[in-house]
Amino acid sequence: MKIVVCVKQVPATTAEKRYTSELRLDRAATEAVINPLDEYAIEQALRLKEGGVVDEVVYLSMGPDSASEALRRSLAMGGDGGVLVTDPALAGADEWVTARVLAAALDKLAPEVSLMGMASDDARGSLVPGAVAAIRGVPLLAYGSELRLTDGAAQIRRLNPTGFDLLEAPLPVVASVTDQVGEPRYASLKGIMAARRMELTTWALADLGLDPADLAPLTRVVAADPPPAKPPAQVISGVAPDEAASRVADWLAERKLIA
Amino acid sequence: MADVAFLAEFVDGHPTRSALELAAGAAELAAAAGGGAVGLAYGPGAADGAAGLGAAGAARVVVLGSEAAPAVTIAGPLVEAVRDAGLVAVLAPATPDGRDLSGVLVGSLGLPGFGPVRAVRMEGGAVRCEMSTLQGAMITASQPAPSAPATSVVLVSSGTYAPSEGGSGTAVVSQAPAADSPQAKVRIVETAAEAAAIAALEEAEIIVAGGRGVGSEAGFEALNQLAAVLGGVVGASRAAADAGWVPYQLQIGQTGKVVKPALYLAVGISGAIQHRVGMQAAEHIVAINRDPDAPIGEFADLFVVGDLFEIVPRLTAEIERRKGA
Repeated sequence: MKIVVCVKQVPATTAEKRYTSELRLDRAATEAVINPLDEYAIEQALRLKEGGVVDEVVYLSMGPDSASEALRRSLAMGGDGGVLVTDPALAGADEWVTARVLAAALDKLAPEVSLMGMASDDARGSLVPGAVAAIRGVPLLAYGSELRLTDGAAQIRRLNPTGFDLLEAPLPVVASVTDQVGEPRYASLKGIMAARRMELTTWALADLGLDPADLAPLTRVVAADPPPAKPPAQVISGVAPDEAASRVADWLAERKLIA
Repeated sequence: MADVAFLAEFVDGHPTRSALELAAGAAELAAAAGGGAVGLAYGPGAADGAAGLGAAGAARVVVLGSEAAPAVTIAGPLVEAVRDAGLVAVLAPATPDGRDLSGVLVGSLGLPGFGPVRAVRMEGGAVRCEMSTLQGAMITASQPAPSAPATSVVLVSSGTYAPSEGGSGTAVVSQAPAADSPQAKVRIVETAAEAAAIAALEEAEIIVAGGRGVGSEAGFEALNQLAAVLGGVVGASRAAADAGWVPYQLQIGQTGKVVKPALYLAVGISGAIQHRVGMQAAEHIVAINRDPDAPIGEFADLFVVGDLFEIVPRLTAEIERRKGA
């Protein structure tokens, strides 16, 4: 059984983010990391491999050449191989283009489970897993707090309003997991060294039988501005608890937040 | 004709709050586009309750499925109802179910997808979607590319629209023809209840949220009391949910719920960016924290530096006293 984990390179949470004059994220100005939510998918895949359910864990990323760094960092945690889809025509890809390209690469890799993080840290749309499932014509099992694999089927544990459901679909599936699957492991020094030596596969759009002319983004950013500055907080500090409570109550009453 | 559709989930024959919010949003956008609002109803009892969406703003309703089943299983009829229907947009809730269905729509029909958005309007015959991106670092506006298909899929954050009240519209109801999809193979094999009563955070006007500083499950009792006297509900940061002090259904933040209450009281929450993205749209933010340098001080409206165990019970008592006065 093979799992392909899709990993995206995103700006670090703490990095300063800038847009270029074409209203694209200025990646040159930003420190890049593996999308933190993808690390949970990696952890889930590696646990299934350690449990003997999965034979092979392969990472797939789409992005500029520098995204190979995300693949090496993933491999440093564990896993058996990495594939980078990179092509100049992919600059400015939106969810639709991303899903088309990932689906084509996944068709070629033919895993039983195509696994993703629940969202990317930068856009948070979560549309890609469903779009990839639809394009590949396979069931979607998204937002799992755990992925289980049985004979011929995949299951995810998914929260509902008061508990959880166990959802099942026949393989192959596209699945996504949340940050409840368990904390991602750190890469060991040995893992880092091994990942450095590993050969990555690189595909261009032509290798996937895709024509750049069919891959124009369907959305475009028309404006990007920093949010309006918020006035500094009013601070209550260094007063006795009774007075603090009374002043908070005053503040709430002034804003009609308490009757 | 330029109609705007919206996903409308039903539970026990009644539309959910998000269905009513989206009905109001779809009606507003459809009015600007010169069309009507179309409900795409699914969930237990949807067929029986569908006509009721007329009062919320829908001109017609297409029932996609009326069974208790994973939401994604209605993908087949959904895709067929949207294909060639001349819709300007399909509005979906920015919930896991709404995102699953939106992703399948985008992939099946090759449609532009947006969101989660905080505001949408019509501009030049297409949607213009405003969203907070890069964890709040930027406010961006996006539109369909000129070459894109005419129908956009838009994930709408809860609280973006208020349900329209007391409308007298009657919706024309039709049943979508059956259509097969790989998603029909998804089924529930087990359901378990963990927490008896979990408040609907997305609908709450007042939220008292606790974080790592609350320290224990017992520590949340003081927050429950404060929430009760305020007429609000309790929420939590990821740290508190991870620690098992509250169920994950109460988690607010990047990987939990995104809320938009009138008052957000953050107790013992440092204000990491992952939490911030879940609650920064609150109208008023009050923080109680022992650490004067906690990041939440940068975006709270009122920041109380002090011991939550001393302040919260006194605040509860003080509000109670004023209510009685």
